[in-house]
Amino acid sequence: MRGLFLASACVCILAVLIISAFLFINGLPFFRAYPPVDFVLGTEWAPLRDVFGILPMIVGSFYVTFGALLLGAPIGILTAILMARFAPAPVVRAMKPAVALLAGIPSVVYGFFGVMLLVPLVREHIGGTGKSVLVASVLLAIMILPTIIQTSLAAINAVPQTYYEGSLALGATHESSVFRAIVPAARPGIISGMVLGIGRAIGETMAIIMVAGNNPRMPGDLLKGVRTLTVNVLMEMGYAADLHRESLIATGVVLFLIVMAINYLFSFFNRRRVMQ
Amino acid sequence: MRIRKFLALLLALTAVSAVALAEFDLSKTIAVVSREEGSGTRGAFIELTGVQTKNDEGKDVDNTYIEADFVNGTSLVITTVAQNDYAIGYASLSAVLHNDSVKMVRVNGVDATTEHILDGSYAIARPFNVVTKGELTDKLAIDFMTFVMSREGQEVVASDGLVPVANEETPSYTPAGLSGVLVVGGSTSVAPVMELLGEAYAQLNPDVEVDVQSTGSTAGVTGALDGTYMIGMASRSLKNSEVEAGALGVAIGIDGIAVITSTQNPVEDLSLEQVRQVFTGEITTWGGLSQ
Repeated sequence: MRGLFLASACVCILAVLIISAFLFINGLPFFRAYPPVDFVLGTEWAPLRDVFGILPMIVGSFYVTFGALLLGAPIGILTAILMARFAPAPVVRAMKPAVALLAGIPSVVYGFFGVMLLVPLVREHIGGTGKSVLVASVLLAIMILPTIIQTSLAAINAVPQTYYEGSLALGATHESSVFRAIVPAARPGIISGMVLGIGRAIGETMAIIMVAGNNPRMPGDLLKGVRTLTVNVLMEMGYAADLHRESLIATGVVLFLIVMAINYLFSFFNRRRVMQ
Repeated sequence: MRIRKFLALLLALTAVSAVALAEFDLSKTIAVVSREEGSGTRGAFIELTGVQTKNDEGKDVDNTYIEADFVNGTSLVITTVAQNDYAIGYASLSAVLHNDSVKMVRVNGVDATTEHILDGSYAIARPFNVVTKGELTDKLAIDFMTFVMSREGQEVVASDGLVPVANEETPSYTPAGLSGVLVVGGSTSVAPVMELLGEAYAQLNPDVEVDVQSTGSTAGVTGALDGTYMIGMASRSLKNSEVEAGALGVAIGIDGIAVITSTQNPVEDLSLEQVRQVFTGEITTWGGLSQ
């Protein structure tokens, strides 16, 4: 039995190690052929001329992720609070499977929804071609909602009932007890929900490639296209050869480092909060 | 891949059913749809239309409009164009010929048809070449080429959607019963049809194994010259320097690239220069075309 546990744990850790090793072993040779600074800070992407600058994609990834969080986090957290403390039990019973279903929808389906509904909607009523930062952010916001709702809900439900009762006993209303006593106590959990959401948003590819326009230049206008790091890899992997192919693996390395940095940063802040 | 095809089909169906009722507005921005960097179709298209130019150092510069919608696949180009009345894109002719969801635009007044590609009047077409170093001497390679240029081989070429170079007098192929390994390498665009040809050939000659490596047109020519490949593949014409080094090119089929718009688009005819201006972003509205 003990061996089984050990083996299970080893498979998990081995997978992480092998993936990391694979990525770095395949990605690092590129940096010997191409200066890392030019790669990360270059603003021009022209693989056929051997010009590989991925700053537009780095900025693009952060741009759509930030947009998604800006829209998704308030909606998600408020929904979680509603489900935990305000909504009557039958409503919660209906909402829980709905949220779970939202989490289970494959990303190509989200992409399909985006390209068939959101893109024409934006094109006809707001402007541009529709394939834009705006649509990508809205779509990602919907996609990260279940992550944020489920994690926040668990965190809020884990706050001891005595916090709430104590607050009521001091004369606070139901609303202020929830927002002033319970939600602050659940903050670390809510923040981890947001980090998981960021992780999903920054790593999303299939849905984004269908709605973002994928222009390899610095993003700016909300109604214009954008290319993210993940899209850059998926989009060109099919035809890329030699240095171009290596540059795409190196793009993966950069993405990997960014995700690791975000996770570390948030867990660092979380730990400090808990200790205070 | 299967998922993408399924999606493309769904997209196409929905786009076809959603017939636009509104009048075509010429002041609207042209939604340019382009393939991704590295695509063989894009490479040929930008070369043939003049979207690609040379810079001072003599390097090729791709001037594709940076605000274009970049999609990675022929079927995605077609569905994206079908869905947007103001879009324009390009795709391999074979993929568009039997697709009613988009409309092919005449280029320089010439319809994109297999006949016009054969007689050379349609401007945006490229040969799919095989490359050898001088005349072939290897028996197996000679027999394989005989098959490729035979009626059976050209049927395979046509089945992949290319315009075959055969005519009524093309002889049919009789298996010679050879054995061995044949290494063919080069263009990623030619590789798919070459793989089909290799499979068909190996079926007729069970002792032969055809190894198709897709490395790129330039690598294909270089490989044929230095002996890495018995037969090289190139989706472009040979350069002078390559011919001088002894490379011999033979077209096994011709691939046309169609310029496509929505079926709701009233524009029927574009000059090659207008195509270039649209895809480099010099003209950005449909009204700008008429000037």
